[in-house]
Amino acid sequence: MAPPPSALYTTTFFLAFLLTLFVAASLRLLAILPHGPFRPTPIRRRPIATRVLIVLGSGGHTHEMFYLLRDLDTRKYTHRTYVVSSGDAFSASRAVEFEGVLEARAREAEREKEERDLASTNPTIKTRRQRDNADDTITARPFCVGPDHYTITTLPRARAIHQSLLTTPFTCLLTLLSAFGPLLSSPSELSSPNHNQNPSTPAPSASPDPYDISTRTPPSLLLTNGPATSVILILASLILKFFDIRGCASQGLCKTIYVESFARVRKLSLSGRILVWCVDRFLVQWEELEGLGPGGRSEFWGVLV
Amino acid sequence: MKACFVTTGATAPFTGLIESILNPSILDALHEHGCTHLLIQYGTAKDVFQTASDAARAHLQSRSLQQALVIDGIDFNPAGLQEQFRLVQQTSGLVISHAGSGSILEALRFQIPLIVVPNTALLDNHQEELAVAMERSNYLIRGDVNNLGPAIEKSEGFRVKMSQFPPLTSGKHRETKSFAAIMDETLGFLD
Repeated sequence: MAPPPSALYTTTFFLAFLLTLFVAASLRLLAILPHGPFRPTPIRRRPIATRVLIVLGSGGHTHEMFYLLRDLDTRKYTHRTYVVSSGDAFSASRAVEFEGVLEARAREAEREKEERDLASTNPTIKTRRQRDNADDTITARPFCVGPDHYTITTLPRARAIHQSLLTTPFTCLLTLLSAFGPLLSSPSELSSPNHNQNPSTPAPSASPDPYDISTRTPPSLLLTNGPATSVILILASLILKFFDIRGCASQGLCKTIYVESFARVRKLSLSGRILVWCVDRFLVQWEELEGLGPGGRSEFWGVLV
Repeated sequence: MKACFVTTGATAPFTGLIESILNPSILDALHEHGCTHLLIQYGTAKDVFQTASDAARAHLQSRSLQQALVIDGIDFNPAGLQEQFRLVQQTSGLVISHAGSGSILEALRFQIPLIVVPNTALLDNHQEELAVAMERSNYLIRGDVNNLGPAIEKSEGFRVKMSQFPPLTSGKHRETKSFAAIMDETLGFLD
């Protein structure tokens, strides 16, 4: 006769169960965590819409982040989500200001393009348009600027200044939970660009609108340079990858880049020392910091800011 | 006109720098180097600036230099310090800054002589490290908060020999990449 199911409720069984769970979790972690130095991603066709999530934090970090982003191409990175900590009005206003600069730059480029088109004769325009359409070069794509293309999300602060250590785990947990919001989908309605304005863009009705899809999926790229919030956001992205939620792991979404502050010359910051284990790319800006972390993965490509 | 602009940081102003720059001997050194205007961004340390600048003005008056070197102060401007840096650039002046990376990065883009004074009172002093490394690369002059004289001396000839920032691809490293290129590469984007 088979033993009753209650015979399973033994310490040995629980230990074995926990051990199995632990082994399985470790294997999964090993699978999703990066190993050694960055290996180039296979070259692929650039999707029409790409969302990038940018973590901003107190004064210095925000400053450096916008220096890093100065050459951002809005035709490639069509949707931007800025994450700020609650009470950090400075970072939020800098994000708005930066988007204003992007918009002005796009208008300038459009104007130049129109002037060029006017200067050349009509038949040339046609053939060029057609050619652009055929191989879909970056110049044929519209600039994605304006309020439809970016959002600013506020996360509760992980730890307020002078907050007691006792309550910190709870506020961190709250930050973690709210971090899933901007990671899973774009926080508010980000729409597609006005297609009428640019005839070279394929009609949106032909297939599901790629702009729309990009706002309802996790970001392709997560950029951070070390404020406390960023550690929690990266942790949240790891959880998404662990369970492969919305294809985070299988579709290679949520790639993470960490840039160590320019102010760090000989020693990594605390965020850096934690995140060197789990981001896809770890960049430093001084040669002395090259080759740190597991497998010597910190990269130095010159001053980036 | 030749402007000298001093910035002390927004959140926790470096009061030692305000007192140091308004020291009589430093004022004399600035005057000798042709400075006509001394502008100090004091942030939240208005009281420190007030007392020190009153003493400084008294000193200048005693040497009847109050017209030759004008001292003024500004609060913190959330829009940044571009306006002040541009003024210094136009008047071939000088910037004296705390060692915060934000101010350093902003000032260097104007290609103006920059003296950086690390705050030695700070606990986790990576400010000093940054200043040392930047001086080694010839981007700026490192100043001592207890004696700014030598740094002001050096700033005169520095304009012509300072390195350009951000650096262009230099022969020193095998390859440099822009951050935009690194982003594309990470996602596997071509072009």
